[in-house]
Amino acid sequence: MAATTESVKADAAEAPLLNKRNLFLGVALYCVFYAWVRWYEGVYGWSAGMDSFAPEFETYWMNFLYIEFVLEVSTAGILWGYLWKTRDRKVMSITPREELRRHFTHWTWLVCYGTAIYFGASYFTEQDGTWHQTIVRDTDFTPSHVIEFYLSYPVYIITGGAAFLYAKTRLPTYQQGNSIQYMVATVGPFMILPNVGLNEWGHTFWFMEELFVAPLHYGFVFFGWSALGVLGVLNIEIAALAKLLKKDLA
Amino acid sequence: MSASQSAVRSRAEAVKVSRTFDWLIMFTLFFVILGGYHVHFMLVAGDWDFWSDWKDRRLWVTVLPIMGITFPAAVQAILWWRYRIPFGATLSVLGLLFGEWVNRYFNFWGWTYFPINFVFPSQLVPGAIVLDVVLLVSGSMQLTAVIGGLGFGLLFYPGNWPVMAPLHLPVEYNGMMMTLADLSGYHYVRTGMPEYIRMVEKGTLRTFGKDVAPVSAFFSGFVSIIVYFLWHFFGRWFGSTAFTKGS
Repeated sequence: MAATTESVKADAAEAPLLNKRNLFLGVALYCVFYAWVRWYEGVYGWSAGMDSFAPEFETYWMNFLYIEFVLEVSTAGILWGYLWKTRDRKVMSITPREELRRHFTHWTWLVCYGTAIYFGASYFTEQDGTWHQTIVRDTDFTPSHVIEFYLSYPVYIITGGAAFLYAKTRLPTYQQGNSIQYMVATVGPFMILPNVGLNEWGHTFWFMEELFVAPLHYGFVFFGWSALGVLGVLNIEIAALAKLLKKDLA
Repeated sequence: MSASQSAVRSRAEAVKVSRTFDWLIMFTLFFVILGGYHVHFMLVAGDWDFWSDWKDRRLWVTVLPIMGITFPAAVQAILWWRYRIPFGATLSVLGLLFGEWVNRYFNFWGWTYFPINFVFPSQLVPGAIVLDVVLLVSGSMQLTAVIGGLGFGLLFYPGNWPVMAPLHLPVEYNGMMMTLADLSGYHYVRTGMPEYIRMVEKGTLRTFGKDVAPVSAFFSGFVSIIVYFLWHFFGRWFGSTAFTKGS
């Protein structure tokens, strides 16, 4: 009886396997933040974003760009640094239950990565199409680029890097080396950001119009394919979870 | 093995954990595949998909199925061949359509003020259902590629016909003959994408009159078969679980 009471107390004190609060807060953070960003675009895109030589463009768009650069570098440094600094140096000796708990936390990161990828690769990238097919660009730092290339892409890069680092530093599954498909799924979409260099060079050199299917854009396409690396991560994770749960599910 | 070595405390908890992971995995897969598929699709076929005055009988019908069958083939290669989940193609296409509809509403209409009936996305669901059903019934990648791939190309135009037909009606405007879709395009000027860029009704196929769309769809189905094979193997590679050596 006493032992049972102790066990129940221990269960009650134990952290939950899945921290639902963190999961919902994580997704909500991206949604609320990007809703605010979309509002900002709607208000200041047309009123201050048409002429890059105008003083209001500097106020509302270039200052936005400078601030986001600083925040992104700081966030990446602090988050990635924290995950690395607090890494588990005895990761191979954790209990199966702790390992399961960490897989849940890892999937919380992956859910956040999915949300960030959606906003970056889908929402703000196609939005760029309608903006640039409608408005003639007179700078590389147009309102849609300030958000798409220099905000939504760094955000998913930071999130993907954090997911990868979490797995690498806390899960036994990823201690045998680096998962090739995990690297493809995070480094590939990251490479879309450097590819902006080619895009801007091409658009300023020979192609001012915005034909979305122009070969100039195929670098984005190639690196976009790498999102399919998530299928490899899925297979690795399912094998690991099956190992943890199989005998209990049988 | 002692109880302390188990990750869960009961079978009921194991089932609950398994179901919870299903939801987390489905959410992540849906949105990551959506992101990759959408960025691919908008940059290899997007212009024909964005604007109704690009939705012609030739290039729209040819290009979109060929570029659209890619991710469904890759996702099927993992979801069916590893897990026997029979809706990989439909999941991919629904993801793409979700991304497109949200965008067309909030951005094409909500930010740049084009009417929705000028910017609605193309319909790909009928072809995706055929791909999934052929795979489910036959269990054969080759039959799915040949019959499903051909169906994916052939069904594209009829699948879109109910919504496009009114916009392909001819009108006479200032002495010129054009479609209603063309007329919409002339009224809704896109400064960054001038008329000389628009790729519609190119070449001499249009002199075939009523045969333009069927010939384009058949050609599209033929190439879709080949692209399906190619992307099936891409999918298998992306689903591999190899690690680099070392830690």
